[in-house]
Amino acid sequence: MKVEIAGLKLKNPVMTASGTFGYGEEYSDYVDLNRLGGIVVKGLSLKPRPGNPPPRIMETSGGMLNAVGLQNVGVDVFIDEKLPFLRRYDVVVIANIYGESYKEYAQVAGKLSRAKGVHALEINVSCPNVKKGGLSFGSDPRAAAEVTRCVKAETHLPVIVKLTPNVTDIASIALSVENAGADAVSLINTITGMSIDLRARTPHLKNITGGLSGPAIKPVALRMVWQVAQKVSIPVIGIGGIMTAEDALEFMIAGAKAVQIGTASFINPCALVEIIDGIRHYLDENKIKNIKDIVGTLQT
Amino acid sequence: MAKDIYMGEVSRNEEIRKDFFLMKVTLPSGFVEPMPGQFVMIRIAGLNDPFLSRPISIYSFSRGRSNCSMELLFRVVGKGTRILAGLIKGSLVEISGPLGEGHFAIPKAGNIVFIAGGIGIAPLSLFAENLCRKVCRSSDAMTFYLGAQSADGLIGLNRVHKYCGNIIVCTDDGSAGMKALVTKAFQKDLKKYDPMDTAIYACGPRPMIRALSGMLDAEYFCQVSLEERMACGVGACVGCAVAMKDDLGQKTYKRVCSDGPVFELKDIVWE
Repeated sequence: MKVEIAGLKLKNPVMTASGTFGYGEEYSDYVDLNRLGGIVVKGLSLKPRPGNPPPRIMETSGGMLNAVGLQNVGVDVFIDEKLPFLRRYDVVVIANIYGESYKEYAQVAGKLSRAKGVHALEINVSCPNVKKGGLSFGSDPRAAAEVTRCVKAETHLPVIVKLTPNVTDIASIALSVENAGADAVSLINTITGMSIDLRARTPHLKNITGGLSGPAIKPVALRMVWQVAQKVSIPVIGIGGIMTAEDALEFMIAGAKAVQIGTASFINPCALVEIIDGIRHYLDENKIKNIKDIVGTLQT
Repeated sequence: MAKDIYMGEVSRNEEIRKDFFLMKVTLPSGFVEPMPGQFVMIRIAGLNDPFLSRPISIYSFSRGRSNCSMELLFRVVGKGTRILAGLIKGSLVEISGPLGEGHFAIPKAGNIVFIAGGIGIAPLSLFAENLCRKVCRSSDAMTFYLGAQSADGLIGLNRVHKYCGNIIVCTDDGSAGMKALVTKAFQKDLKKYDPMDTAIYACGPRPMIRALSGMLDAEYFCQVSLEERMACGVGACVGCAVAMKDDLGQKTYKRVCSDGPVFELKDIVWE
């Protein structure tokens, strides 16, 4: 079950997706964190961010919209107050980082690289719910590459770039960050969408638009993972609507070396562990010795 | 690891008034006794549509020899509650909880006042019952203001009668009790309540809570239970944000699910 991504040794290929697992503490009563392949914490910015005004979420068919707006405690409070909790566990911790400028991305990366207990960085260039930064960096290949270079210059840790699906050609962005030194890419972040209250003729979300997640987006995510995996030689981490071990395995067959589980945790806090057990069971049943042997085995 | 998702079995699901349902669920004995104000996330076992679990406050709880029993009072307002309303005896539901770090605090004050709008009676009547049965507060000390749009929406009165000595009923259309908003009825009596010797607890629609915040100065101890759409129920998704003052008086977003759902009225920032 072990996989290695950019030098990171994961117990298994199943990680949490940023923004769906808090700082680990929130679900620690439900999930043995030691069992996880990795914990990707909620996106961190240089200063604390209050987030967007409510309502922030709305259920949709087979998923949900959110416009949380990267509410977070800020990188300093994370290091002082949240990281010590995570250090108690034998689990890979990946800090998701966000900035409003190249300089901010670099500063956050620098602080986290000096902190004990952070094993990798995931660059968020794909949040659709913030006015500055986020998606604007992720939808332009040159800007995405520049963010990657700025972060790489500040850190010795492996750098994963989390990509947005809200672009015409995701593979070209992936290639661009690979050339800029990214050690891996993770995809997809949420797909922008909206939902309307017919009676009031108002959007359900105060932010008007939000990011769609959940099983509704899985086919899109799978297609993009497959496209990107064809183009890049760095590891691809698959994200998007994974609810079961079967879903996770499909992503791996499409070319993902590992996966992240997000919205599934909201409706079943034990989903992560059930997916890990389900993959193990699949490997045993199909007499596959090494999980690596299924990565990118799609027959076309 | 201490918490779990519990499989519950519906033992009764009755429409007690139009669109108001009282569902009784049998749970394994490991389920922790809830504190008044706490809630559960409930979903139909094995079904992913509706996608998210629904947060519902706990109306009653009792522990038997080999299992527990919990009642949930809910109103059909959308897809999720409509499907819950259709569950029959024997249906299986997945329940996580009890959830919420913020719950009603046991009062020291001599006067205990409850203000409920419609379905808001659920957590408040559980609290009144606990105060009466577990803390031995006299029913004479407890006053319950209950409001609804019309007589049809007045639910749970029988239970309130058991524990509260004074009950004031209001309806918007005058079909039962006073024809007034429940907050107006309370405001008329406000002079009777010494802020140093009164504890107020409220649960109801947002406009009701807002009206209360306009009439109660910070001297009064007043806790309110808030509602918001939720995805996870445990504080991870930060979807159920509500604007509150922090310790320094600055605006911050708290999570209704884990920081609440019960907050102090004076901390709410009205946006």
